[in-house]
Amino acid sequence: MESAGNEIVFKKETISKLLTLSFKEDKTKVSSDAVVLVGEMLRVFVEEATRRSVKQAINEDCDTVNIEHFEKILPQLLLDF
Amino acid sequence: MKMDDNDAQKQRLKAAIHYTVGYHCQHIASDCEKQITKQTIAAIAETAFRQCDIFAKDLEAFARHAKRHTVTVDDVKLTARRTTALADYIQQKSEELALNNQELKEKRKKTAAKRKSKDMEPEEDNEVED
Repeated sequence: MESAGNEIVFKKETISKLLTLSFKEDKTKVSSDAVVLVGEMLRVFVEEATRRSVKQAINEDCDTVNIEHFEKILPQLLLDF
Repeated sequence: MKMDDNDAQKQRLKAAIHYTVGYHCQHIASDCEKQITKQTIAAIAETAFRQCDIFAKDLEAFARHAKRHTVTVDDVKLTARRTTALADYIQQKSEELALNNQELKEKRKKTAAKRKSKDMEPEEDNEVED
């Protein structure tokens, strides 16, 4: 499968640690499969954020995607997640 | 003391996320033949980091609601419920994972069975080929 998006992956260990850091209770753990899926969620999130920003830049006839483009698409992005 | 350790670890994780996100963004932008500023990448990375915190708190709440201490695939599916496309995508990925696990299980069973039959006397032929 050749998909540009699939090459970059968040390491399982990184995600696992990130999640545990945010948990309020020490007892809470995450199953291995759940970690993989959260990784997928994050990957989609980053991809959506970037692609929507690029689209915004295209709409405004810009060659460079800058922070204003990202700021414009951010509200809808957060609502979608 | 623990707070400092936590903060240090948080910074390391943030840096790791930033690195991966940066790579990802550059790749996508150049695919679309656009440049992307470092500032934008930093903003996306920061947002992703914070989104992960939101995911974590939601996941913990869902697990606790189900009276569990371990966050499972079902909890993650719930966090993806807002957009149909996302929910479908996560559902598909979870099915792939389950299939993968099943295949691994069967592989292990076969290897274990092979080992067992090697220990016993090789009397029967399992496969008859015409």
